[in-house]
Amino acid sequence: MSTVKGEPPTVGKNGVQIKRKVSLGGQGYRTYEIYQRQRVGESTAKLNPGQLTNAEFINDPYPALSLLRDNYPCYRDWRANAFWISRYDDVTSIFVDDANFESRSKCWFYGVENYGRDLGQQLTVLNAQAQAYQSHVPQIMQDIINRAMPSGNINLATEFAAHLPIELLARSLQLPVQDYAFFARTYWQLQQGYQWEPQAQNNGLMAMKTLTEYFRPLLSQRLKNPSNDLISAIASVELEDGPATAEDLVITLLESDHETLHGGLANMWYLLLNHPEQLQLLHATPRLIKQAWFESLRHSPAVLAAKRFSRHEVERFGQLLPEGAMMICSAAAANRDPEIFTDAELFLVGRKDLCQREPRGMYRADGLPAGITLGLGKPTKYPAIPEDRPISLYALTRNAVVEVSSMILEQLTNLRLTNTADPSLRSLRLGDMRTCWDLPAEFDN
Amino acid sequence: MSSNAITATLARLINANNNITEAEASNSPKNDLSTTFPLMAIGDALDMGHADDGTPLIDPRLFDSPEFARNPYPYYRIMRDHYPVYHDKLHNCYYISRYADITDCYFDDQGFNTIPKGSSSGVLGNTQLELSGVEHRRRRNLYGQHLVGKSLANRLPSIERLAEQMISAWDEKTNTDFIEDNNGVRTIELGRAFANEFPISVVCQVLGFPDEARTDFYYWYNSMMSGLGGSAGHQQGLEARQHLEDYIEGLVEERRTTPGFLYDNDGQQLGKDIITKLCESKIDNDYLSTEEITSNIALVVGGGGETTRGAIMNIWYLLLQHEDQLAEVIKDDSLWDAVFHETLRHSTPIGGQPRHNSFDITLHGIDIPAGSLINMVDFSANHDDRVFKDPETFNIFRDDLYYGKLLRSGYAKDGRSSHMAFGVGPHLCPGAWISHQEAAIGSRLLSKQMKNPRLNRQRMRKDIDGKNLAPLGLASAREVWIDYELE
Repeated sequence: MSTVKGEPPTVGKNGVQIKRKVSLGGQGYRTYEIYQRQRVGESTAKLNPGQLTNAEFINDPYPALSLLRDNYPCYRDWRANAFWISRYDDVTSIFVDDANFESRSKCWFYGVENYGRDLGQQLTVLNAQAQAYQSHVPQIMQDIINRAMPSGNINLATEFAAHLPIELLARSLQLPVQDYAFFARTYWQLQQGYQWEPQAQNNGLMAMKTLTEYFRPLLSQRLKNPSNDLISAIASVELEDGPATAEDLVITLLESDHETLHGGLANMWYLLLNHPEQLQLLHATPRLIKQAWFESLRHSPAVLAAKRFSRHEVERFGQLLPEGAMMICSAAAANRDPEIFTDAELFLVGRKDLCQREPRGMYRADGLPAGITLGLGKPTKYPAIPEDRPISLYALTRNAVVEVSSMILEQLTNLRLTNTADPSLRSLRLGDMRTCWDLPAEFDN
Repeated sequence: MSSNAITATLARLINANNNITEAEASNSPKNDLSTTFPLMAIGDALDMGHADDGTPLIDPRLFDSPEFARNPYPYYRIMRDHYPVYHDKLHNCYYISRYADITDCYFDDQGFNTIPKGSSSGVLGNTQLELSGVEHRRRRNLYGQHLVGKSLANRLPSIERLAEQMISAWDEKTNTDFIEDNNGVRTIELGRAFANEFPISVVCQVLGFPDEARTDFYYWYNSMMSGLGGSAGHQQGLEARQHLEDYIEGLVEERRTTPGFLYDNDGQQLGKDIITKLCESKIDNDYLSTEEITSNIALVVGGGGETTRGAIMNIWYLLLQHEDQLAEVIKDDSLWDAVFHETLRHSTPIGGQPRHNSFDITLHGIDIPAGSLINMVDFSANHDDRVFKDPETFNIFRDDLYYGKLLRSGYAKDGRSSHMAFGVGPHLCPGAWISHQEAAIGSRLLSKQMKNPRLNRQRMRKDIDGKNLAPLGLASAREVWIDYELE
């Protein structure tokens, strides 16, 4: 028997639940008055939904996304029960439209909305995160370089891009060094499990419990003896509905993002090594490293799309979107929108039609469009309020990327792909981030 | 050393996933799912892994696989037993699989409405399918009233006459690709010989279509029905709908001034045909537009063809595999109703209906946000062993199935329950009663014609072992080859 939240069920004969008296409210149009007939020529025959899930799409989504963007800017995907939004201005218009569209947390996708609270926006937590970035990133990167230096070889995907965010997190939490491998495995499982794959979800839920029990004694220890770390910051948070718990800590970790740093670094160096002329530009003008980061986020974002859900029935993009409609907002398609970017398929460091400062799509600091980058948080409409607002995750990530990439340029002389390397960008599973998972390189040591 | 351990751990996790994906990607897109979900013995479910508490897992890609289309019932059992509400995050929907839950939802037409718009209306036009409440009722009644009660009873003789004409015409079609005579034995393919055309002829007659329209009728209903829901045939569906509309426009203009009538076997007027009735109908004191009439006709065309064809084909496919039950039916004509209902319970041509919840609800502990797509799986409800004992067995004598007159309220008394093939509640199929009569009358007449009927197994489609008959799964029988003795 289903129950409407906050309302007892009405039971009819044979146990049948019937005819609740509810006010549907509102004086607006009624759904059945919206004209829905399609005419010949309005079909979406150039693309079938299977092309958005098959192996070809997982390997290279851009041909299918281009078809969507050119022909069906609001594509009704009946198989995935979703609408695909693929043009730049349409995608950004959804991200800023809180009145009509909402995002859902990773906890919601896990089906454990009440497991714990996300404390990631608490000021003390943000400050601890900022401090961790600034104090740990150079040291972690130097260790990575030192380990690679004797051999003259480095796998930039596994030994650098995948490694750095996880060790940064482990150090931010001030975990015992001997627990790093455990943490890497369990945290990875936690982040992998919220999507559609049931085995990964099971493993993720187990990881959630395992991490909770792992953090419980650490949290109470840091509460008594606070240190300069993320756990202590979380332990110090006092909310109206009670002090922070180990469950809150795990959910805060779950809802945070490591994929943009991991995938962004891997994709940027994949693109640079495959475009030696662009890499040469960076050698000549190191301040272009920042532009290379922006351009790689635009050209090949690791997180391809974000999901939003319509809060109520609304007409947009020439379609009637029912309440609860899932909108797949494709950053990958939008970032190569030829209406916005000239030669959008090309990787061009320092391109003149790309925002030079704030690559988040909805906030154009210099009036130019930016590559849409997901997972770095939403910019506030009032960047100066509060005045003690810590540096944004976007800026932290950008600074970290510039810093570690500068170290690579300076210390790994004549960095190039190994002769046998055949790197590519791809997702491990449908819906996962698209990045380079194997990027063997060599340098003169 | 421990920093190195991070890299080693991540590399192992990445490689584990990489190997799986490369193996899948090496196949063509079509073959991906065949590899991931190999065909199993009928009734056996593929092991898709288990949760730590032992619960079997369901990989949602299964629902797109050939294995599921062919062998769905063991997976529905897992859903009923372990996931009465299954959240499929790949297809962004929920499945409800237990009989009792589906019944509740079907009756609650405020809590579960029938949008999203567009799933059928894109092709068919605005019909009552996607409406709820009073708007649903007033449109449903426009033509639904002509398919029940006295209106239906009046039509039965002409339905019987149509069936007799088709069957008697077999003698003139011998040695075609669907009727052959050999040494006193006739072999027919039931679909092409009877079931494909019979329901269409009935619908044409009921609507008042001229005989010459029947050729186009195949095209209309095949194309429109296979073009629903944004499927690959959507473009063809729209073209067929336009073709139908172009045809009907003239017909409607004619009937607005010159009513069409149905006649009984003696040439007496039974009443006006449905197109004429629609031309005379008013909503809000105004006549229906040609567009509206076309949409209603498109729905009758689509709904009246494939479902009844599937029912007749499945009846014979199942009955001929259960010779003892067939023998009893041939002895006692009154059993055809039981055959019809048990066939639709066991292998219904329509598998379920989508609903959207109007409010945030919690069902079996699962929170479902308002506006979610919820698939009511009638296939599964009909095989719910909480209601029907030994549900995978075809048994026209079962004591837990209601065989009486179809009721919109459903039936659940004295240990008997109605099947869910037509749904229940406000959206129960308006063609259920006429479909029942077509299938029962047609099958009874077929049984009179065919002496000692049996399956021609050699010509029937085989299962993966190359020996057993192909299972029905989620589809209706496409071909049924029957041998019988000529008198």
